[in-house]
Amino acid sequence: MAATVTETGNAVPVWAAYKSDDSVFDEMLDLSLNPRSGCEPVTDALFSMPSAYFAEICARADAMFRRMGVTFNVYGAADGSERIFPFDPIPRVIDADTWATLEAGLIQRVRALNAFVADVYGEGCILSDGVVPRDLVLGCPQFRRAAVGIKPPLGNFVTVAGIDLVRGVDGRFYVLEDNLRTPSGVSYVIENRVVMTRLIPALLRSCRVRSVERYPADLLQCLMEMSPTGRSKPTIALLTPGPYNSAFFEHVFLSQQMGIELVEGQDLVCVDRKLYMKDVHGLRQIDVLYRRIDDDFLDPLVFRPDSLLGVAGLTAVLRSGNAAIANGIGTGVADDKAVYAYTPAMIRYYLAEQPILPIVETYLLRDPEVREHVLRHLDRYVVKPTGASGGYGVVIGPQADENELAATRERILRDPSAFIAQPVIALSVHPTLIHTGSGSGMQLMPRHIDFRPFVLLGVRPRVLAGGLTRVALQEGSLIVNSSQGGGSKDTWVLEA
Amino acid sequence: MLRRIASHLFWTARNLERAEWRARLLDVNYHLLIESPPRDAQPWAALLAIFEERELFAQSYPTADETSMLNFFALDTDNPNSIRSCINNARNNAISLRHYISSELWLALNTLYLNAQEWTPEVFVSPGVFAFFADLKDSFYRISGIRHGTIPRDLAYDFMEVGIMLERAEDVARMLDVKYHFLLPLVEDVGGSIDMLQWASVLRSASGFEAYCKRFGNAIKVENVVELLLFDPTFPRSARFSLATLETSLNRIASQAPEPSAPLSQLENLSALTRSKRSREVIKSGLHQFLVQIQDGCAALGDEVFQRYLKSD
Repeated sequence: MAATVTETGNAVPVWAAYKSDDSVFDEMLDLSLNPRSGCEPVTDALFSMPSAYFAEICARADAMFRRMGVTFNVYGAADGSERIFPFDPIPRVIDADTWATLEAGLIQRVRALNAFVADVYGEGCILSDGVVPRDLVLGCPQFRRAAVGIKPPLGNFVTVAGIDLVRGVDGRFYVLEDNLRTPSGVSYVIENRVVMTRLIPALLRSCRVRSVERYPADLLQCLMEMSPTGRSKPTIALLTPGPYNSAFFEHVFLSQQMGIELVEGQDLVCVDRKLYMKDVHGLRQIDVLYRRIDDDFLDPLVFRPDSLLGVAGLTAVLRSGNAAIANGIGTGVADDKAVYAYTPAMIRYYLAEQPILPIVETYLLRDPEVREHVLRHLDRYVVKPTGASGGYGVVIGPQADENELAATRERILRDPSAFIAQPVIALSVHPTLIHTGSGSGMQLMPRHIDFRPFVLLGVRPRVLAGGLTRVALQEGSLIVNSSQGGGSKDTWVLEA
Repeated sequence: MLRRIASHLFWTARNLERAEWRARLLDVNYHLLIESPPRDAQPWAALLAIFEERELFAQSYPTADETSMLNFFALDTDNPNSIRSCINNARNNAISLRHYISSELWLALNTLYLNAQEWTPEVFVSPGVFAFFADLKDSFYRISGIRHGTIPRDLAYDFMEVGIMLERAEDVARMLDVKYHFLLPLVEDVGGSIDMLQWASVLRSASGFEAYCKRFGNAIKVENVVELLLFDPTFPRSARFSLATLETSLNRIASQAPEPSAPLSQLENLSALTRSKRSREVIKSGLHQFLVQIQDGCAALGDEVFQRYLKSD
């Protein structure tokens, strides 16, 4: 079932090596290498571009990112500059119909997850009703006893959610994992678009792509809606771990775009169960804190006593209702990998709806029968630790060697409830520009991608019309993380 | 503005100014010694005395010779006030300011920092002492120019001004003190040709030679040098000018407070000191004492500024 693009009229050698493959879903081209719905204008443009142009737009994109300072922090770099997140200028297109379903599915999912967190730290109905096992939730590493009884404004524990999706061989989007603590990456979505509007404005306009620039305004709106004091102009601040954090660029970017103060733990103080920042002219009360540090570091009186990143007494402030925080303490209980298996049940339980977005089949290894089956075929599964995020500790069975499998087996047997197993998902692929040989030679090659859209909850939910498409630049690699050779693409959601 | 940010702005600016003055003082002292051969065994001791760094120096260096002194004052990071240490401090404070200052300012500062990491004692041989300090002064001018050309005149600018001007007023007093230490035991030279050469180089190190000639003609008189460096209201490196600028910035900062606050007690004293006196008067009553008064006043005002605006615990 393999075909090769035939070069027509205007010969385009960048496509010369592009092949279809029926074991993965290609997001742009079908098995006959015809463009999928919505992709025609982009493929037409790509087919008609002179090949030298590709190297040129890559170089221009690179220069723009550098000038805009969209970088990772590498302060020790010899040239005094920083590294940029590799960018692939071939956009990923999502047509309006596909997006409508995705959007509805994302809103449904985040509403249910938020309801779950509020329930777990509130009355615990879903646990009493036996829909999700109580011991699973209370034993979850991200469960925070300190959050029990906190009633956030609007009932919102989750204000920002980043939901990681992958597209299977069947072309359907599956939820791979939920990020409900401090999801990052949205600044790249916005900056990628800024670069694309300068790089290929005509194509962008003719495709009628939905804008992503409203995100900071929408986030600010959601944060203001959470203000517990009812002041007409609430004071909002973004809490960062500081300039050495790898996401510091994003913290700076968002605080500037929203026009709010960027604070560190040392800037804050709690007095009489109110939260303040230390201004040169005295203390200024904060109504809503958008925090980008983990629970463990937030409040040394309650969590890690050695933390210098947070502020002592914050939990008591939240409990008194004198300030709100986004996201709330303990939201990680809902993005736990084992709890994930129950997310379809949550949607039915809280919303009385059928889940719109499917999840990946998930085996909880604490069940002896399931465990036995998985251990017998360990080389067919992906094993993930339940409490971790960001791909840490994940073992991909088919790619692991004997030693790794044996070690994984041992770890599972030592603490079965700390692991889940899932079948290997063949991530979809997308045409991506790859440097070949020396010089400026470039070829389009299929590379694996995933997708992280962002959902905001305020009085009502809002979904950013786009998201972060990450691409594994190494051939055959399924790892899209920037630290391991991953890059990103602009994601074009088309107008209806 | 957050106290932490104000503090970073203050210390970035102050450390740069301190590094610049250290470079100027070292440069002056080095060239003084070339043109007037040392009369005692430890011609560099005056510098150590002025900076009260004799003990620190003695911990790592057996003799106060030229090479040791250049290393200690310019390169040694065990000396918290060496030029390199000051540049490192400035840049480490600026890391948290990247969203408050212009990218050009960050780039210039970071470039200076990266260059300073490459310094070895070899720089005093090639390109040589003169070229090294000339180049360094250019870097400071570049940073100062970028600051003037790119930073809005808001709190960020004012807190940097406060850091710079406090340091500048203190350091101009210090530099005059170095000169006096040198001459004190040798009264017979005062007014002699060697002496005049030395005063001229003091003026040059403060970039004030041309300003001096314009105001007083080309005859170098101690009284007039002191007048220019301490009391001239228009010369940008005089103590009076620095303190007046400092006062303007501090008043502007105070005017933005939601509620009026008591004036900083040291501010009025300090600027009155240079506003109401003339050089003839202070030389007669004791220049050293007067310079100490300025230095102590700057230290006390620095404490007040810290307590009122910068301290965050």
